[in-house]
Amino acid sequence: MKQDKVLLSVKRLSVNFFAEDAVLEAVQDVSFSIRKGQTFALVGESGCGKTTTALSIMQLLPAGQSKIVSGEIIFENQDLLKLSEKQMRRIRGNRITLISQEPMTSLNPVHKAGSQIAEAIRLHQNKNAKQAWADMVEMLRRVGIAEPEQTACAYPHQLSGGMQQRVMIAMAASCKPALLIADEPTTALDATIQVQILSLLDRLQKEIGMSILLVTHDLGVVYKRADVVAVMYASRIVEKAPKGQLFAEPFHPYTQGLMQSLPRLGVSVKRLQTILGAVPDPLHFPAGCKFHPRCPIGRKDRRCQTVEPELKEVQPGRSVACWYAPGCVTNNQIRNTKIN
Amino acid sequence: MIPTLLGITIVVFAISRLAPGEPLRGTSDEGRGTSIVYPRLDRGPSSIVWGLDKPIHIQYAQWLWRVVRLDFGDSIRHHRKVSELIKERLPITLMLNAIAFLIIYAVSLPVGILAAVKHGRFFDRASSAVFLMLWSLPIMWVGQMLIGYFAGPTFKNWFPPAGLSSNYAEQLSFLPWLADRLWHLVLPVLCLTYTGFAYLTKQVRASVLNNLHSCYVRTARAKGLSEPVVIFKHVFRNSIIPLITITATLLPAMLGGSVIIERIFSIPGMGLLAFEAITSRDYNVIMAVATIAGVLNLAGLLLADIAYAIVDPRITMDD
Amino acid sequence: MNKKTEEKNWKLSYSQMIWRRFTKSRLNLACLIFVLFLFLLAVFAPFIANDKPFVIRIDGKFYFPLLRNLQPSDYCIFLAAALTVWYLLRRTPNGGKLNIKNQISKLQCKIQKGMPDSRYSNFAFLYVILLFAFLFLIFVLIFVFVPRRLDAVDYKEMVASGKATDAIFAPVPYGYARTELASCRQPPSRRHWLGTDDVGADVLCRLIHGSRISLSVGFVAVGISVCLGVLVGAILGYFGGWIDFVGMRFVEIMMAVPVFFLIITITAFFPRSFLNIMIIIGVTGWTSNARFIRAEFFKLRRQDFVQAAVSLGLPLRSILFRHILPNAVTPVLVNATFGISSAIFIEAALSFLGFGVAPPTPSWGQILSLGVSTSGRFLWWLTLFPGLAIFFTVMAYNVIGEGLRDATDPRLSKAV
Repeated sequence: MKQDKVLLSVKRLSVNFFAEDAVLEAVQDVSFSIRKGQTFALVGESGCGKTTTALSIMQLLPAGQSKIVSGEIIFENQDLLKLSEKQMRRIRGNRITLISQEPMTSLNPVHKAGSQIAEAIRLHQNKNAKQAWADMVEMLRRVGIAEPEQTACAYPHQLSGGMQQRVMIAMAASCKPALLIADEPTTALDATIQVQILSLLDRLQKEIGMSILLVTHDLGVVYKRADVVAVMYASRIVEKAPKGQLFAEPFHPYTQGLMQSLPRLGVSVKRLQTILGAVPDPLHFPAGCKFHPRCPIGRKDRRCQTVEPELKEVQPGRSVACWYAPGCVTNNQIRNTKIN
Repeated sequence: MIPTLLGITIVVFAISRLAPGEPLRGTSDEGRGTSIVYPRLDRGPSSIVWGLDKPIHIQYAQWLWRVVRLDFGDSIRHHRKVSELIKERLPITLMLNAIAFLIIYAVSLPVGILAAVKHGRFFDRASSAVFLMLWSLPIMWVGQMLIGYFAGPTFKNWFPPAGLSSNYAEQLSFLPWLADRLWHLVLPVLCLTYTGFAYLTKQVRASVLNNLHSCYVRTARAKGLSEPVVIFKHVFRNSIIPLITITATLLPAMLGGSVIIERIFSIPGMGLLAFEAITSRDYNVIMAVATIAGVLNLAGLLLADIAYAIVDPRITMDD
Repeated sequence: MNKKTEEKNWKLSYSQMIWRRFTKSRLNLACLIFVLFLFLLAVFAPFIANDKPFVIRIDGKFYFPLLRNLQPSDYCIFLAAALTVWYLLRRTPNGGKLNIKNQISKLQCKIQKGMPDSRYSNFAFLYVILLFAFLFLIFVLIFVFVPRRLDAVDYKEMVASGKATDAIFAPVPYGYARTELASCRQPPSRRHWLGTDDVGADVLCRLIHGSRISLSVGFVAVGISVCLGVLVGAILGYFGGWIDFVGMRFVEIMMAVPVFFLIITITAFFPRSFLNIMIIIGVTGWTSNARFIRAEFFKLRRQDFVQAAVSLGLPLRSILFRHILPNAVTPVLVNATFGISSAIFIEAALSFLGFGVAPPTPSWGQILSLGVSTSGRFLWWLTLFPGLAIFFTVMAYNVIGEGLRDATDPRLSKAV
């Protein structure tokens, strides 16, 4: 594997949310790095903290209710958490950009689609209105919109879901960012459009040479597009591996459970496999390993129930947070235990 | 629109016809002639002149026909044509309300936006407490207190207690006349505006708060726009949309408040005209004022609908 | 902390949750207590401010003029207050916990006994109607049988002249209808704590009795407007279609007519009675309630529980009022609180303009109108005190309304 430069390095990031009288630890001790040109996928169920992690890179979390309590986010040799708001604004939209989940609500309904894209171009690239408009039309053509001038003059509610998402992508890619954060970009779209949007992202990535942080809960998307995958559960990263190795041989029991629950084409089963139990309430995380109540090993093991495992590198490029992962443990009998 | 207009005229007509000069026992039906209604007014031969001896639906039709041609009849009290009276007095009331309107908006919009942006902090809580107090102040009390403390011989005598212009105003040239007029208007306008502050600021704040947490605001911030630009270019444009209907409903409330203000400050406007007409049972004036007020309300609602279609691109004109 | 949060959120009924959120703010609680205080003032007004003594000894015998001279309206108010207190106490659940197991077993009993829901609701409907008829009968009987005494005996003079000994007067020993032209337009003094008005009646006494008028107007007017608005809104919202179209035109007409002007006109033309004012304010104010309920019914009638109720064959009134309405009532509740403060304000404005209750019935607005005398003199005590009374009352209701609105805000329940 060619050793590209590390573009973004998140070190031990922790984010807390403040509800009425409770403190919610949404993200605990998350560390990962993204290299140049790489697609890094952050996978997990709803509420596991992946969106919060992505937003905290751009520091777009709601100000009064959340706080980044610790950690470092090193991007292009700067710690983003130490930058002033003004400096951060120069990076947002310019070097790091965001695509959101719902394109309909993410576009301002009272402004034309084109002017929203041109706004970003004018802000970061010091061009006048005419040049920005021309750039914007060109960008719309690049994202595959057939009639860019018409679309540019339309309002968001007049466009279809797929076109809205293309407009969002155009907005994000217009300033040729180094990192594109895609927060569930295809969840709100039809299946056929999903494929188109994903290939578009792929193409743009190769053209611009940007990295993509893909936040999703769809393992199919991850399998097709990601290079490196990090699995999050209950505010922590439990496994991090290159895509091929993760899908071939998952180490963490949670990842194993996820893979086994995927229905496979051509294999007929009477019942789909599930992981017993439910995601824990963020206000009452279990002690020790957060997955232990649902884990066949952890249910019976005292160490899993009391001590939280750290994310440890067990092979070059692979990390797991489990006491019984291969390379972590001496218990050979338990290592190859299948779930269910 | 037209049925509503007709409905207003029917209601107005029925109300004024329901009550002759003596107390009414029992109910009466609007639109259907009953024997209680006329003619027992002791006005002698003029009752035939007023057409009060004909059945009620004929009276209504006649009156409606005259109203459409803007002929409201004659005032019993003032012995003049009602339309003249209205022509004199309506601009005054409209001017008073227009000035109050502008001031309310000029204050409420910035305060509301600021309160929403600094949601939950001191400015927000303090301003909403202050405005709640202002909203609860009864308008006649404020008017009387202002007159008593600032416009009377007992305490301070800074403002004139009554009227629109001083007695010598006609002799002044334009600018001093304007200054004199404004000096007279300070207290009445103050009374009219303060209730509007509370209501409108609360609505602005709620609308802005609603939009502050939208997804497109996050997109705007993610583009790197500065906070003032996000608020004024993105949030504000979306927040004023619900305010338009509120503007339309503010108008009738202010017209109602005019009655009290004009009575307290003796300003010769529509409110005072209506008040005097009611106390002296001047039917033509009452009906005229009520109709005009109703028409103005409707016009306000119609304007609001049109403005809605202009401001919000999601709504098309289906008129 | 974990267990406590669970109990906090899951074992409370909806109204208990709202109450908890509402009482978190001390201001809300303070205003609620103030309103309660006003209530007590209004209900016990004849005992607080009256020119007849509780007990007086004349020639060795004890007399109780105050108690003997209570008017039928006083008795009605006592009865109404007692009923309200009893009703509120009955509704307070025991222990504050929602006993689901108990409710399930009750339901099981009902099913076992074979009582279908529609029959039960038939009886309940009749029961409610009979109850209201019974109460109405009692009120009418009170008016018929309690004599309206006009006791013109001047007890204070008797005490002063020595004819009577040992009299216990109420705290404010003046009558609201008693005129003493000798001491009219007096500023506050030791004898008259808040001064006197232009016919010599004590201002404090009139303020206290005026609170009855204000509060009654508030509640009755809002009661009427809520009932009307809910009825109209429910029908329009549930049926939709052409019923809704025609109905909304009618509502629009009512909304477009200038309300305050209409009220003034009607009160000017009809005999000046207290009941008339309450009815007028109620009848002109129902449109906003109707719109709220209609909007809520539009939202709710597509829900599954409505379909379930219809498929069970429940009668229409049961669907509308037992099933949908409790879900739709929250915005109306908030609006009703603001309606009370607005009704109080309208009544004061009417009395100020001279169209409200006729003297000698006391009204805050009427005292306010005497603030500037005919000679132009500014009588500050006749302006300040009734104005403060109106201000504090209206503000208390506004704060409660705001607190209710915040407490029922659906966004807050999404937190965590």
